[in-house]
Amino acid sequence: MDFEELKTFTKVKLKNLDKCFYPQINVTKSQVVEYYIKMAPKILPLIAHRPLVLTRYPDGVDGHKMAFFAKNAPQGTPEWVKTEPIYSSSTKRNVNYIVCNDIDTLIWLANLAALEIHMPFSILGELEHPDLLFFDIDPEVPATISDAAEVALLLKDKLYSRGFTPFVKTSGKKGLHVIVPIVPRWRFEQTRRFVHQIGIELAKENSIVVSEFKDTKTPGKVFVDYLQNSTMRTMVIPYSLRPTPEATVSTPLEWHRIKRGLDPLDFNIFSVTQHSEDPWRGIFNKRERLSL
Amino acid sequence: MGSEQEDSPQTKSVNTQVSSRSIWSGSITIGLVNVPVKLYTMIYNKGVFFRFLHKTDGQPIKYVRVCVKEEKPVPWTEIVRGYEVSKNEYIIFETQELVAVRPESDKRIRISKFVDYFSVDPLYFDRTYALLPDKSIDAYSLLLSALERTNKAGAGRITLRTKEYPVLLHTYRGALVLTTLRYVYDVIDPQNFEALHKLVVPQKTELDLAIKIVSDLSGDFDIAEFQDTYKQNIQKLINKKIKGEKIIVEKPPETEAKGLMVALQETLKQLEQK
Repeated sequence: MDFEELKTFTKVKLKNLDKCFYPQINVTKSQVVEYYIKMAPKILPLIAHRPLVLTRYPDGVDGHKMAFFAKNAPQGTPEWVKTEPIYSSSTKRNVNYIVCNDIDTLIWLANLAALEIHMPFSILGELEHPDLLFFDIDPEVPATISDAAEVALLLKDKLYSRGFTPFVKTSGKKGLHVIVPIVPRWRFEQTRRFVHQIGIELAKENSIVVSEFKDTKTPGKVFVDYLQNSTMRTMVIPYSLRPTPEATVSTPLEWHRIKRGLDPLDFNIFSVTQHSEDPWRGIFNKRERLSL
Repeated sequence: MGSEQEDSPQTKSVNTQVSSRSIWSGSITIGLVNVPVKLYTMIYNKGVFFRFLHKTDGQPIKYVRVCVKEEKPVPWTEIVRGYEVSKNEYIIFETQELVAVRPESDKRIRISKFVDYFSVDPLYFDRTYALLPDKSIDAYSLLLSALERTNKAGAGRITLRTKEYPVLLHTYRGALVLTTLRYVYDVIDPQNFEALHKLVVPQKTELDLAIKIVSDLSGDFDIAEFQDTYKQNIQKLINKKIKGEKIIVEKPPETEAKGLMVALQETLKQLEQK
């Protein structure tokens, strides 16, 4: 393979590019790296200045293979990769989080087999002040993504009626994620309470919606999950690959595509790079204020 | 060595070498009847096997158990087993604790009933062993003939080393053989794959056509029709290497790095425009 020329474009020393990462569809590490390279212009503005959490699949996503969560930058992290020490009160030590502001770091993450990347709802320097509201719409079987889509539309209408502009993406599995960018001025208790309150209202108005964690396993219901709105809790980043057999992608979508029959499998490593639209572009240019 | 040899000793197509050592001996018990038998390995993995060597000095590579924190080898005396109950939290087991709960081998293959051999889904078949008579040839012959005549198989269990297995006692080419079976929990119900819930009923014309194709291509199964071409190619290479021929490694196409480079160039251009 011709790596010499590649080296002039990236600092990353790519390894094992022909390793199979998605055995059921024969997708290699090379294709994963290529995917993240192509998506970089859309991804980087959304994840910059945030401490990232990775799920690494060094042997691919075959069900029996090992995967692990990685918060700490691994040994051998090149010195050009930006990391940020954050004190963890649960383990009583600093965790060196990776921050990805440039394409080389994104390529490096793909080279680490970090198929899935997660981001918190606040940026460095303002970690305790969220700049995103996060509604995780999670259908419980036999409810499907179609039900999640209907609930997302109800949520959208409710948020619009309050003067907010929400954005939506598929989770890449069966759920949907709705976010609202906000001015980082409130604390997580406040955003969590706000998101929970919206869920409670939706649950009152629609029998399919549940707003409480204890009801999440009720068959056929759709949970509007507010609990991730906490310090260093995360969501999978927009355009992250998921460890599904079909290499699905958590894909930002225009609201008109959210409807019954929406199929998360339509958004995968092959199809998403073909989309020209970028529905979350510039979402941080207009931030909402909460009136609590 | 042997540079004029044309054939390598490994090119024999039929496996006639048998193991002379039994791996277990005991008896098949059916009610009050005992048939003494010995168990022999029958399934081998005859693929190509390589050793890892150190490129610079040709010495074999060995694996070492290393503690990830201290980054140095750990002796067996300092090793225990941990069961992960939640992320990074383990319950520790000493070897003695596990030995205490191991099933005891009672040297018996306990057959509880006889079933139609074809009623057992091959999905559950794990490993097959040959059973040979131990002392009493008569009892063995009798059981073999009875199973052959009725087309039945005995279902039961055996304890091998430290684990109890469900087993099927059946016949194969004039021998009694024992196949260990997988437990139900080792096999996934494919209906758990969501994609299967979207299946549709095909149209009749399409289905008729598909059925016609299937019946046109129907025949008897013969495992000998399938050849391990990878093994054959490796064998050719081995023979060449033994003769001292230089191997020319075909370079894989350079598409992968090239594809990445093109993608990267385009992306860098886009990023500059922003």
